[in-house]
Amino acid sequence: MVTQLSVRDLCVRFPTSRGVVEAVNGVTFSLEKGAMLGIVGESGSGKSVTAKALMNLLPRTAEINGEVRFDGEDVRALAAVGRKHFWGVKMTMVFQDPMTSLNPVKKCGEQIAETLRYHLGYDKRAAMEAATDLLEQVGIPEPGKRVHQYPHQLSGGLRQRVVIAMALACEPDLLIADEPTTAVDVTVQKRILDLLDSLRKERGMSMILITHDLGVARGRCDDVAVMYAGRIVERAATETLFDRSRHPYTGALLRSIPRIDQPSHARLDPIPGRPPELIAPPVQCAFAPRCHYAQADCLELVPKTEGIGESHEFACHHPANTANGRESLAANAAAGVTVTGLKIGDGTER
Amino acid sequence: MAGSGHAPLRQSEDTILEVKDLAVEFRVGRREVVHAVSGISFDIVEGETLGIVGESGCGKSTVARSIVRLNEVAGGSVRYLDHDLATLSGEALRALRPDLQMIFQDPISSLNPRRKVREVITEGLVIWGDGHGIWSQDRIDELMQTVGIDPAFGDRRVHQFSGGQAQRIGIARALALDPKVLICDEPVSALDVSVQAQILNLLEDMKQRYGLTVLFISHDLSVVKNVSDRILVMYLGKACEVGNADLLYEQPRHPYTRALLASIPQPAPTVDPSEGNIDGEIPSPINPPTGCRFRTRCLSATSVCSSQEPQMQQIGDGDHYVACHHPVVITPRKGD
Repeated sequence: MVTQLSVRDLCVRFPTSRGVVEAVNGVTFSLEKGAMLGIVGESGSGKSVTAKALMNLLPRTAEINGEVRFDGEDVRALAAVGRKHFWGVKMTMVFQDPMTSLNPVKKCGEQIAETLRYHLGYDKRAAMEAATDLLEQVGIPEPGKRVHQYPHQLSGGLRQRVVIAMALACEPDLLIADEPTTAVDVTVQKRILDLLDSLRKERGMSMILITHDLGVARGRCDDVAVMYAGRIVERAATETLFDRSRHPYTGALLRSIPRIDQPSHARLDPIPGRPPELIAPPVQCAFAPRCHYAQADCLELVPKTEGIGESHEFACHHPANTANGRESLAANAAAGVTVTGLKIGDGTER
Repeated sequence: MAGSGHAPLRQSEDTILEVKDLAVEFRVGRREVVHAVSGISFDIVEGETLGIVGESGCGKSTVARSIVRLNEVAGGSVRYLDHDLATLSGEALRALRPDLQMIFQDPISSLNPRRKVREVITEGLVIWGDGHGIWSQDRIDELMQTVGIDPAFGDRRVHQFSGGQAQRIGIARALALDPKVLICDEPVSALDVSVQAQILNLLEDMKQRYGLTVLFISHDLSVVKNVSDRILVMYLGKACEVGNADLLYEQPRHPYTRALLASIPQPAPTVDPSEGNIDGEIPSPINPPTGCRFRTRCLSATSVCSSQEPQMQQIGDGDHYVACHHPVVITPRKGD
C-alpha cells in the first residue's frame, strides 16, 4: 500500500484574550491511497481544526506546528507556485453546511466552473460543460437546468451534492469531508454517503470523513480515529475499534448512545461531566476526570500513544479490556470513587 | 399518507391531551398557502410519552407549537382536559399556560442572554406567584440542584454555560411552574452524544418524579424510541403510522417508516437496507400530492394512492395504526 497522507505531531494553538487554546495537540496518523479514515469526536475535540490545518484554512493567528506529507512531499514547505494549485486540486474539502459554503449570488454551475477555469485553465464554455457533467456524476437530476440555478433554489441534499461536485472538479487524490451530512435528513444522508463511497471507489481517491456520529463512521470507514481534547486517543481498524476498544473514552462514548435495538425506556449510560477547557490544560490525561478507570498516574502524566501492532493505537495508562484496566476498574468500583473524585456505581450519576 | 381518520384515538378517561384533525397553514405571498400540518389526530394519556418523528419539513415542530399556540391553528381541535386550546384566547388561554411548558432545541438562544440564570428560572413564579405549584421562589436552589445545576452559579448568565448545562436550565425553567404536559422540541439535537444521554436520563427522571406527560419531537429515530411509549411518524404534514414504540420499530408497516429505519447508519434489523433508497425530494407543502402524500416516492404506490387518501386503521391486534393502501406484510420470523 502507498501512503497518501502522513501527519506527524500536528499542533494547533490559538492565542486568545483568555489565554492560548491548545486546539490540536500532537495529532499523528497516516492514510493509505484509496482508504477512508473516519475521525470522530465531540464538539471541541479538534477534529475540524485538524481538517482545516490540513487544508491550510486556519486564520493567520493560529500557530501550527508539525509535519504534513502528501505523496511524500512536505505540504507546509510548498513553494508559492506549488501551493497555488495544491489545495482545491489535489486535496479538497466538503463542509458541513452547504448553504454557507456556496456563494448565494452565483449560479451553481458558475461556482463549479470557476474552480476549473482557475486551476485547470478551462475556457468558459468548456468549464460550464464540465460542470454539467459533474452535476450528473453526483446524481443531480436535470443537471442542464440546475447549472443555471442559484443555491437557494435547491434542497439541502442537492446543495450538498453541488458542493461535492465542486470538490471533485479537479479530480483530487484526497477528499476531506467535514460533517458532510450533519445538516441533512437521514434518507438524504444515506444517499450522500452512498455517493461519496461510490465516487471514492471509482476514482481510487482517499477520504477523511469527519463526523460526530459513530454510526456513520462505523458503516463507512476502513479506519477510525477517536479524538478527545485535541488528541487522537485511539485509532484502529473500524471493526476492532467498535468491538475491542481500549481507550475508556471510546467505550463510554459507544455506551452513551441510545440504540435502536434496545427496548424503549432503556436506561442510558452517559459519560459524567463534560469535556475539559483547552486553555492551559493540566499535564494529565484529559479524560481522567470523567473516567471510571482513572488512577493516580493518570493525573501525573499524559499517556503516550502505544500500539498493538501497526493497526491499533491508543493513549491510556489503564486500557479497557486488559488485565491492567480490569484491575483499575475493580479497585475504583470497590472504593466507590475514582482518584479524581468521580463517584461510581450508584447508577444515578449524571 | 392520510392523517385523516381517528382510529388511533383511544377515548380513554385518562387522556390529557387530544389533538383532532389539526390543520396549520401559513400564507406565503399573495395567493399561496403552505399546508404545514393537514389533519393530524393523536392523543396522549396521563404519564405517557408520545414521540413524533419525521424529517425536516414534515410538520412535527408545527404540531408542538400549535398545541401551545405559538402559531395559529387553521382547523381542528386541541383538547387539554376540558378546554379546547385551539379556540381559547386571552385570559382563558393565559391561565392554562403554566400547565403546558415547552423545551426548545437550541438551549442557549432560547434563554434570555441578559438575565441571570436564577432570574430565567424564577420568571414564571414571579408572574404566577408562589402558590401556583410545588415550587416557590425561595426553593429555586433546590430546583436547580434537582436538574443538576450548581446553585452557586445562579448569578451567571446563560452564555457562561455549556449547551448541556443550558438545556438543564431550560428544563428547570419549564418545571418551575409545575406543568402537567412537557413539550420537548428536539431537546438534545444540539448536544454532543455524551451530554445527550445525560439530558435524556434527566428528562426521564423528571417525568417519573413529577408525573409529567411528555410530547417529544425528534428527527433521531433511536432517541425517539428510547424516550417514547408511543410513536407517531409524520411525513409532509400527515401521519403515516402510530403505535406502541417497541411494536412499531419491530414491525414497521408503512413504507416511509421502513425507509427511515433503513436509512439510519446502523439500519434496524427489521428492515432491509435497500428499503432506504427512496428517490426524489420531499414535494412542496404548497402543492402537496393528491391522495397519499408519500406516493411520489413510494415503490408500492398504485393508482389508488393518487386518487384516494388512505385512512388510519388498526393493523394487527396491538396498539398499531397505519395510513397506507398497501401496508407492508410482515411474515413472522422463526422463533417468534
